[in-house]
Amino acid sequence: MSLPDLTVGTVLPDLEVVLDRTTIVAGAIASQDFEDVHHDPGKARSRGAPDIFMSINTTNGFVDRYVTDWTGPEGRITAVSLRLGLPNFPGDTLVLRGEVTERTEREATLKVTGTNSRGVHVTARVTLESVNA
Amino acid sequence: MHAQQLDLDAFGGVEAEPPRVARYAVNEAMIRNWVEAVDDRNPVYVDADAARATGREGIICPPAMISTWVMNGYRRWREVQALREAGQREDFAYSRLMSLLDEAGFTSVVATDVSQRYLRELRPGDRITCFFTIDSVSPLKQTALGPGHFVTLSKRYVDGDGVPVAEEDFRLLRFRPANKDG
Repeated sequence: MSLPDLTVGTVLPDLEVVLDRTTIVAGAIASQDFEDVHHDPGKARSRGAPDIFMSINTTNGFVDRYVTDWTGPEGRITAVSLRLGLPNFPGDTLVLRGEVTERTEREATLKVTGTNSRGVHVTARVTLESVNA
Repeated sequence: MHAQQLDLDAFGGVEAEPPRVARYAVNEAMIRNWVEAVDDRNPVYVDADAARATGREGIICPPAMISTWVMNGYRRWREVQALREAGQREDFAYSRLMSLLDEAGFTSVVATDVSQRYLRELRPGDRITCFFTIDSVSPLKQTALGPGHFVTLSKRYVDGDGVPVAEEDFRLLRFRPANKDG
């Protein structure tokens, strides 16, 4: 996929990510995030959540992956802006969808939405370019 | 317990804590742990030849890892939690702010927004330092999770030569869980 192919309105193929407890813990620990809400169900409940939930950095990592799975290795993400909605708990399936919303000669901007069975988990705006632009 | 009105405006625009100097350089092992956790098969993170084939000098770091390099590590995290349990604060603004929020019952935390601009790709060997500023602390808000305050931080990441490599705005909510009495 080269940048010239990215026209406004182009829709990316969906990505479904099945999240279990281990996925959530692995993401938190790989990013050195030891907040108990990302690994300890008892502590998560005492802090008002029904179970452990995925960290914002892990969501960011999955959004990165989703976009560069599609662009291929030449894609370079230059900016991301994401807002979290409903949390991802163990057993959830995160479905990522994306669409090109803006295009300049050098850059493309995508809107990426991630949903689980309860609703919207994340809304993201991702700007990218090609390293060979 | 009742929510007291805290005056938190004084925290806006102040340095959150001393600059965080990464404990180690950007490295292949940490990168590999991360890409496996999110099952990212992009070869430019693990295969130098594949990265060079795209015109890069060698493997690069996934952009979403930027904050990982300046995390304090497990031991320091334990220390901070122990100080918090003991009701002690450290001598910088972010610790004072968190302590005030803890005392007022806003003990739970959830991240709500992150915005990052990547000025260049990071490579193994890069040594990152991050400067944290508290941008703003919101007045008391009623949220679906419970009453709380939003804290917006800005982070400026530089390399070993002091050249900026990334900028970030990060917003979190410190709240009192709605299902608890405080």
